[in-house]
Amino acid sequence: MNIQDFMALEADSSHDELIDLRSLDFVSSYDSHLMCPICHCPLIEPARLQCDHVFCQKCLRSAITTFRSADTDEFPCPSCRTPTSQISTSVPRLLINMCEEIQVRCPFATEGCQEVVPRGHIQSHVDKYCGYRLIPCPDEDCEKMSRKKDLQVEQRCMHSYCRCSRCEEDIMEQDYEVSNAPALFNLETILINCVSQEHDKELCPSLETTCVDCGTTIPQRNLKKHIETCPEVVSPCMASKYGCTAKIRRAEIATHEQSCPLVSIGPYFEAQNTRLNSLELKMRHLQQRNEIFEDGLSNIRSTLLESARATGGNRGGRSATENDRSQHGRVDDDESANSSNVFSSNATTYLLSLHESLREEVSQMSHALTDLDARASMTIMNECLRIKEDMAHTNAAVNSVRMQVQWLMNPRLHNGARAGGMRTNASTAGNDTTRSQLTSTSAPGPSNAAGPSLGPIRPRRPSDSGREGTKL
Amino acid sequence: MASSFANKRLSKELIKMQEHVPPGISIVKSDSLEEWQMDIKVLDDNPIYKGHTFRLKFTFSKKYPIEPPEVQFIELPATSDTPRPIPMHPHIYSNGIICLDLLSNSGWSPVQTVESVCMSLQSMLTANTRDERPPGDSEFVAYNRRRIRDIPFVYEDDNV
Repeated sequence: MNIQDFMALEADSSHDELIDLRSLDFVSSYDSHLMCPICHCPLIEPARLQCDHVFCQKCLRSAITTFRSADTDEFPCPSCRTPTSQISTSVPRLLINMCEEIQVRCPFATEGCQEVVPRGHIQSHVDKYCGYRLIPCPDEDCEKMSRKKDLQVEQRCMHSYCRCSRCEEDIMEQDYEVSNAPALFNLETILINCVSQEHDKELCPSLETTCVDCGTTIPQRNLKKHIETCPEVVSPCMASKYGCTAKIRRAEIATHEQSCPLVSIGPYFEAQNTRLNSLELKMRHLQQRNEIFEDGLSNIRSTLLESARATGGNRGGRSATENDRSQHGRVDDDESANSSNVFSSNATTYLLSLHESLREEVSQMSHALTDLDARASMTIMNECLRIKEDMAHTNAAVNSVRMQVQWLMNPRLHNGARAGGMRTNASTAGNDTTRSQLTSTSAPGPSNAAGPSLGPIRPRRPSDSGREGTKL
Repeated sequence: MASSFANKRLSKELIKMQEHVPPGISIVKSDSLEEWQMDIKVLDDNPIYKGHTFRLKFTFSKKYPIEPPEVQFIELPATSDTPRPIPMHPHIYSNGIICLDLLSNSGWSPVQTVESVCMSLQSMLTANTRDERPPGDSEFVAYNRRRIRDIPFVYEDDNV
């Protein structure tokens, strides 16, 4: 059904004489799944939402009135906030039965009803059977309530007063009745004569009783106070908890306590007790810490074991000796896995061997490093030599190129010199020295820059032309 | 009758919490069914709240659990035997008022309990990494005279 129909149901289900099932006292504990999440009571007339959450119909109604959004016909499920528009009042019979089966105390338990019935039956119990149910007095002028069972067959008002024969107090008739209620059977009720009337039993102030210890007669209601102060009451020594067995009258207990050795030693015991307690506390504390440490130790052990396995696996194929050792280690591991006791005795030796192997590995590494170093420096040397050789070759080539350039320049210079020579003196044209002077003085740009660095120009021989030609 | 509904529900919650409370939560005062006080602690090592205990005050209306309880942190001075500061949180004002949609009329659900609210606040503190007050804290604290339920909070921040 939709929300409107559901809300309309409320009017039908409102009876007036109904017991408030939520205020019942549940005797047994019940499963929390049977509890309505809103009122925390076992579900009463449950209703189910689309999302399968179940609530009491009454709780759900109050939740809907508060949380329904005004413009839509939906409201969020209180448990999961799923927008809900359909509510089903048919829930599994099983659920209802389980809720109705929970044992409750009769709501009139305060009036004396001892009945414990399943919740499903409580309504009929109250309606038909409960004698302690309060019903209005049959006398229309009287406004008081009476227990159902107190009303006699004649249905008359029980609220008139009558006079107690002993204390001359006015007592309401119904209170003067025989009481089946579980009267509190304390010391007072045992001491007095067993009169089976409620007022007589407990409440009548004129009732007197005799103190069993001192023999004085006192009003019953003062008995408790009297026992606390009665000098004749036998009470144990103050040091009874330390083993003093003396039990004497209150009047004499002071003199006893002055002489009792246990009383004087009492404070010492007290101090010892507190010390013991504090020590015990400390012990427990230390035990806890010890446990924590042991846990930590075993954790470290297991991690060590794992890491040892890992390194053992990595070291696999490096060298024969290492392989042997790691295999040895693995055997150790397996053994220790089989029995932790063996491992705990082997642990130190095992750690030592591990350390040793690690050290060896480190030294091997350093060897390899130096080896690599030497090799690297050798290659560098070799490279250097080769490069030097190459440099020399290049130098040579550069020189030869320079010579060729020189040679190529020569004919021009020669021509220039010859022209100059023809102008001055044609007969000395072939002289080497003149030619060199001309080179240094009248040679144009580039050859002028190169000239001085070349040093003395070699004399040109007739065979040069042929040799240069073949080389080029 | 309505008030007895709230009382019934609260006394049931109280019985349950007296049997067992989640770690870090303890009942300080629950003698009346109108106001309870709880102490909560943050369980992890969040440096903002480490070593502190915070006191919460729950005020229940007659319509609880249909209406949310008013929940706020209260402060006990650092000089007392049980110092209870107001936790630093971007949704908690320095007068202890908490901006949490769970505690508003719209975000509340009658399924919630005192225990679940405490646990929500615990986790709200646990998840926080910002050591700060909400923006406009000083003005709010100085001028707010409204009751908690009448304050129009805006729940814009879903991160914390």
